[in-house]
Amino acid sequence: MKKTILALLLLTPLCYLLWSVRSANDPIKYIYTFTGTSAITILMLSLAVSPLKKVVNLMRYRKVLGLFAFFYALLHFINFYVLDAQLDFAFVVKETLDKPFVYLGMISFLILLFMALSSTKKLFRKFSSYHKAVYIVLVLVTIHASMAQKVLSSLEYTYIIVTFMLLGYRVYEKNKRRKIIG
Amino acid sequence: MNIMKKQSWYISENEVTDESLFNKRRDFLKLGAAALVSSSLVAEKLAAVETTPRKALSFKKTSFGRGLELNSFDQASTYNNFYEFSLNKKDPAKLAHTLKPSPWEVEVSGEVENPMYIDLQEIMNKYPLEERIYRFRCVEGWSMVVPWIGITLAHILKKAKPTSKAKYVKFITELDPEMFPDQKRGIFGNVPYPYVEGLRMDEAMNDLTFMAVGMYGKVLPNQNGAPIRLVVPWKYGFKSIKSIVSIELVEEEPLNTWKEINSREYGFYANVNPKVDHPRWSQAKERKLGSFFKHKTEMFNGYSEEVASMYKGMDLRKLY
Repeated sequence: MKKTILALLLLTPLCYLLWSVRSANDPIKYIYTFTGTSAITILMLSLAVSPLKKVVNLMRYRKVLGLFAFFYALLHFINFYVLDAQLDFAFVVKETLDKPFVYLGMISFLILLFMALSSTKKLFRKFSSYHKAVYIVLVLVTIHASMAQKVLSSLEYTYIIVTFMLLGYRVYEKNKRRKIIG
Repeated sequence: MNIMKKQSWYISENEVTDESLFNKRRDFLKLGAAALVSSSLVAEKLAAVETTPRKALSFKKTSFGRGLELNSFDQASTYNNFYEFSLNKKDPAKLAHTLKPSPWEVEVSGEVENPMYIDLQEIMNKYPLEERIYRFRCVEGWSMVVPWIGITLAHILKKAKPTSKAKYVKFITELDPEMFPDQKRGIFGNVPYPYVEGLRMDEAMNDLTFMAVGMYGKVLPNQNGAPIRLVVPWKYGFKSIKSIVSIELVEEEPLNTWKEINSREYGFYANVNPKVDHPRWSQAKERKLGSFFKHKTEMFNGYSEEVASMYKGMDLRKLY
């Protein structure tokens, strides 16, 4: 029940997008920014669940958050392929190989796709260790989002700070565990 | 009895989507998106009322851009890259009330026989204003078609009489933190101020090079660079410097702001060129404001006939 409410909550950005895109001056750009920002924000929320575990335990919602981060990344990709590239597959391939900004995004998308596909109970048991690759995604999308701008704004600086905090926490935890074992 | 066990993937022939229908799907998607844009959006945009009243100008109509489909005033005045106010393109329309476009003077100086200050009122009232419809292409990949009102830059330069040493023209935007909030932020500003742009002498004297004081029949809204701005339609939008206070004729190529920030990505020439990509994104196509569909970008933004000869023999890949 609570998961359903969370899912509905995570769909509100999409509803807002569908409503507001009508009056966007530059719709394709608007969809990029909106879906990209939603994906990164939700991804960061999903990664904040574990550091916050001792304050509030939201571990059972982590998967829903992760799947929705992928969902907005998927919309972002569809915007690239359908509206921006106008279904020109060769253009998508060329841009992906050509432009660092695009291939960083594409690598991230493929990792998220893999994680989403292997998120069923059965497959997750087998592939869970590979899901650590989400930290690669975190770094790549932060660079990707920053490269999309001509000049960095406070939003990108926030992403960079949060990325460092999340990575810092991982390193801290790892060292702590090593000390306990050692 | 022969019983055929259906596999889980089996679907009967009549369930399979007909190929022609499958292909129609694409058309349908396009149509759907188009309907979404055309009906409500266009009506909305056309009906948009101007929030601040603007003074009407008297001007002569010209044949420049005849037949081009104009963007709405609303689109052109609510989507502005004006970093002196904000990085967000919707913000300048809300913040630009701090800009005081009157009184205003433009200094014409440097390598000229006749240095002068031009009062904006003089341009508005005494100069032969004309309307020109130009395509405008931003380096970010969006574009619009705008009816500008103004005079050629050549008209001003001829009055000042450039000397033989004048090889380039350097333009500077007003520096006044009271008018432009981002200029208060010092080194934390969005870009270094004041904003600087430049043209080579032949580019400056080209008949297309325009100094706009108005658009859509009236004076420029503040967020579009009031009271006077440059419009160079065959170059990316960042060349078209806003709210100009100084036009200086110089011997050396001026360092324009975007080249100063990132010379690998933004050059001095910045000619619209679909064959030379920005390092981060393709320039082959553009998104006209208000449209879900992209169209091909033309060489020199469609002004090859008027300007291509100026760049003969130049490697436009190197001098981007």
